[in-house]
Amino acid sequence: MDAWFHNENTYPFVPQGVLDRADSVRASLPNRYCDPKIAADLFEETLDEFLLCDDVGMNVVAIEHHAGINSLFGANPLILGILARQTRKARILSLGTLISLRPDPVRIAEEYATADVISRGRLEIGFVKSGGSEMASNNANPVTNIARYWEAIDLIKKALTQQDGPFSWEGKHFTHRHVNIWPRPWQAPHPRMWAATGDPETASEVGRRGMVNVLVLRGAEGTRRAWSAYRSARAEAGLPPVGSDRFGYAALLYVGDTHEEGVRIGEKLLWFLNTSLKSAPQYSKFLPGSVPPAFAPQVYRTAPTPAPAGVDNGSARPKGDAPVPSATQNVGTLIGITAEQAMARGILFAGSPDTVYEQIMKFRADVGGFDHLIMVGRSGFLTHAEAEKGIKLFAKEVLPRLQEVPSVAALES
Amino acid sequence: MTSAGTTTAERLSVRGVDLEVVRRGSGPPLLLLHGPQNVDPNAPFLDLLGRHASILAPSHPGFGHSPRPPDFDTVYDLVHLYLDVLDGLAPAKVTLVGLSFGGWLAAEVAVACADRLDRLVLVDALGIKVSDRETPDILDVFNTAPAEVQRRSWHDPARCAPDVNAMTDEQIVVHARNWESLCLYGWHPYMYNPQLRRWLRRIAVPTLVLWGASDDIVSPAYGRAYSDAIPGSRFALIEQAGHYPEVEQPQATAQRIAAFLGR
Repeated sequence: MDAWFHNENTYPFVPQGVLDRADSVRASLPNRYCDPKIAADLFEETLDEFLLCDDVGMNVVAIEHHAGINSLFGANPLILGILARQTRKARILSLGTLISLRPDPVRIAEEYATADVISRGRLEIGFVKSGGSEMASNNANPVTNIARYWEAIDLIKKALTQQDGPFSWEGKHFTHRHVNIWPRPWQAPHPRMWAATGDPETASEVGRRGMVNVLVLRGAEGTRRAWSAYRSARAEAGLPPVGSDRFGYAALLYVGDTHEEGVRIGEKLLWFLNTSLKSAPQYSKFLPGSVPPAFAPQVYRTAPTPAPAGVDNGSARPKGDAPVPSATQNVGTLIGITAEQAMARGILFAGSPDTVYEQIMKFRADVGGFDHLIMVGRSGFLTHAEAEKGIKLFAKEVLPRLQEVPSVAALES
Repeated sequence: MTSAGTTTAERLSVRGVDLEVVRRGSGPPLLLLHGPQNVDPNAPFLDLLGRHASILAPSHPGFGHSPRPPDFDTVYDLVHLYLDVLDGLAPAKVTLVGLSFGGWLAAEVAVACADRLDRLVLVDALGIKVSDRETPDILDVFNTAPAEVQRRSWHDPARCAPDVNAMTDEQIVVHARNWESLCLYGWHPYMYNPQLRRWLRRIAVPTLVLWGASDDIVSPAYGRAYSDAIPGSRFALIEQAGHYPEVEQPQATAQRIAAFLGR
């Protein structure tokens, strides 16, 4: 198993009263509450944490979120450029440029190829579907988001791999008549591709494509459901089975000298769930396309179903399972979670080196194996010094044990 | 109009596109193009206007119980669909009435083939750009708090705003379909065609532009600009009505239209 450090670069320094009064801490919170001097310090600390990871044998993850206290990483390629140059050994996972928000996937392919070359082949490319507040912030039609996502991936992949001169793309959502990027990527045929999704339908397509499926804060049940969909889709398509190298899991994670210290400091990571996710209904449940219309009655209502005489309110209720919550909806259900609950659900791994290792291994067994552990190691008011201590302890005491854990080989079904 | 919760409406096939339609009244043909919500068969406005015309009110593909064909996802598609509907009604000349988003479609259709129409009525219509680049003309209903959207939609929100908790499941499903389809067709550029205003001068039929005096989704001043761009068109306000005068003041709205039709 390998390990990746991830810090969303959150901005927790907005007065609580302002956050309480705002209907959303994303998309619409005025940026006057973001002091650029504080932001500069946060970028410096976060980049230093990534460089520390490079020194201690961990890989790094650079994410992208827009316009909110949950992350200052609105421009993923800029962070990649810095990491590509300033780290020396770490693999760098972009997770990722929000491709369905951007009008030109070819430009994204250029950015990725450039980062891969500067890093001499240490780039990994991750794709994320975006959330509602990000679609609002980027003028991106939420109803066609998934279709743009897959078409953008197809175009980026072709731009990264085509070496025979210009090609033309006239797709449903993107047109680009003359594609011929320089430089081409260092890695051939292209950097490994990842996708962060917990929704079984998307995970199925990720499976057919053989990408690494990373689950973020989904807990054991949601993780098993996605990976089962991934494996089933491959089997149904007649594709060979895959091993645990195609699976990753991201959790809040903190290692202290003692179990008590690890939990006490690790609990601060819950700020991400309990404070930074507040999102107005127009960016979440009422966002067009976020809920299949057949399931809208369950989601839209704020009071029990009325049952006037003679009217069968159940007549239009869809049959079958409710849809799996989107990433935004999933994390929305985690607001208010306690450290104990988060640890029980595999959303927070915290404690001493021994207890953290045990928690990871138990979770790994619960979900059937994964090779990539993403450590969300700083958030909210957890300090830079605390984050660096956690990274060092993890790398010294836990990582060597994880590196001994063998992959689960592909099993013929 | 509030969302239709019935599955008993008629069907109409238009060159392979299957539409749910409501028919009402008698007289010369009138094609009614709905706004954000499909036409409610129980709306008083339908009966009132049906005294003066034979109304055909389809649900746009993706709205109500009309399926949306694959790759049918632009206003261009909707405009050509309604040109097909007009072909089906030929040789009669048709009165075209468009509400809100449907007003945009009606204006586009009228620009394309005014010779098929005898009258055009636009009610709180979307579809053009009037103000400068930093002044949105049309409230962004997708990125605004739902309560604020309701407050700005109605003269009297307490009386008229839909209550999702009072709807049947089927009504909510239709409501959600309508919402998703409106977003699909109208997201970008937001609820207008940048080129439409220039071509409104082609509309050579008598035109009435009606506007809810309290419309805070798209203002009466926008309505006047719309009317000014259509040669010879008349502009009138419906008092004590917001963005949906046909719901809030069905009597006054139907009377205004009937008078304009000379009936």
